[in-house]
Amino acid sequence: MTTEPTGFLYPFIEAEERDGAALIGDLTRSAQSKMQESRGLRTATLERGRDGIHAAAEAMAARFLGGGRLLAFGNGGSATDADGTVDLFRHPPHGRPLPALSLVDDQAVLTALSNDVGFDLVFSRQVIAHGNAGDIAVGFSTSGASVNLLRAFEEAARRGLLTVGLCGDGGAMAVSDAVQHCLVVRSGSVHRIQETQDALMLELWSTVQRQLARSEGL
Amino acid sequence: MMALVDSSVASGPEAGAAADLAVASLALARRFAAGATLWCMAPQWPSHGRHVAVEFVHPVVMGARALPAVSLHEADAAATVRLAARPGDILLAVSTADHAGTVDLLTRSGAWGLTSVWLGAGNRPVGSPADHVVWLEGVDPALACRSGDLVLMYHLLWELTHVGLEHPGLLEAEPECTDGVCVTCSDEGRMAEVIGVGTDGRVTALVGGRREVVDASLVDRAEPGDLLLVHAGVAITSLGGAAT
Repeated sequence: MTTEPTGFLYPFIEAEERDGAALIGDLTRSAQSKMQESRGLRTATLERGRDGIHAAAEAMAARFLGGGRLLAFGNGGSATDADGTVDLFRHPPHGRPLPALSLVDDQAVLTALSNDVGFDLVFSRQVIAHGNAGDIAVGFSTSGASVNLLRAFEEAARRGLLTVGLCGDGGAMAVSDAVQHCLVVRSGSVHRIQETQDALMLELWSTVQRQLARSEGL
Repeated sequence: MMALVDSSVASGPEAGAAADLAVASLALARRFAAGATLWCMAPQWPSHGRHVAVEFVHPVVMGARALPAVSLHEADAAATVRLAARPGDILLAVSTADHAGTVDLLTRSGAWGLTSVWLGAGNRPVGSPADHVVWLEGVDPALACRSGDLVLMYHLLWELTHVGLEHPGLLEAEPECTDGVCVTCSDEGRMAEVIGVGTDGRVTALVGGRREVVDASLVDRAEPGDLLLVHAGVAITSLGGAAT
């Protein structure tokens, strides 16, 4: 899946080129322009999504207060986002550690399910095993079209879990009834979407922490 | 030598790192073109180590070349790299400046013949053992590693490396040592890691990733795991450090 512009593949490909300094100047300017793009997208997405983030965080905080746990999943780079999310909730830089479980970090489970029932069910079967009404299912997909995430969200919604999705626009996740809180990033670049999903999750986590502190009268 | 860069184009903690990213990326492209494997470690944030590796192995841009990258588990990172990496490979460490295990591994990586890149956040390392340092300064690393800032840095490292690979004329030419301080051919000592102790003051050591017999009779100690500075086959200083 890719929608990333390929403009970075510079047109002047010359085998005789010897001037490394010129290329380094180009690379530096390219990096600066992408940095600006990333920062702009993150700022705009947090601004535009403020109400949605607040609603999702409020619902997540209520689940945590009720003893719920967070289950996180995704594919590829998004699997590492799921792991990073679990780490953030369990070992927060400040505030209250919260129970969270990664559905991507056990190769025995991942390969057993993929081999026996197929990769499309690799997360939904774990939701069946681990998920209880009162828990929270969080899935990351830059395309918003990953079938195994959609199946997991459908299973989670059936079981009464709170469902929170982070995705790019255009996929089925953004319009699925099974995803109660869907935070959408509007960009054609997988990388910029991924960076922005990190920013969204950090904001979600930090809002959950504020909600929990408030509930304890802090 | 370098075109002036308008620093107002990008703001934020990452802006100062753009030129360092560019230089490190061209170095990575040169190493990959020569057949290198990229070894990734992020002991404080293991998910970032895996994320870097999957970027290179399975690029998001269709048609971009799959490049060999491996994420390392912290527990046996040193043993794995010492054994499995080949001279000319790349070590990418992602950490804060004060992570002792990372500093140790980066220091040893010279003896293993690796090109090293250190990516991190917070206070910039002083006297870094890495060949390339790419740093997000003035941020809280605990937040920068979750805010998208750190991911942005290795997304760009991946992307710029691929741009570098599109410039074959620049890939063949490794920078030549013309300034007289190149560690390979001047009077400066080379980093060596002791791997075996023989008799009469001789030890076996890894120097630039190759096993060499070194005369260690002039230094106080040379135990397996110790680092030595070696000149013309003779250890001139022991840096100790057998911890790993």
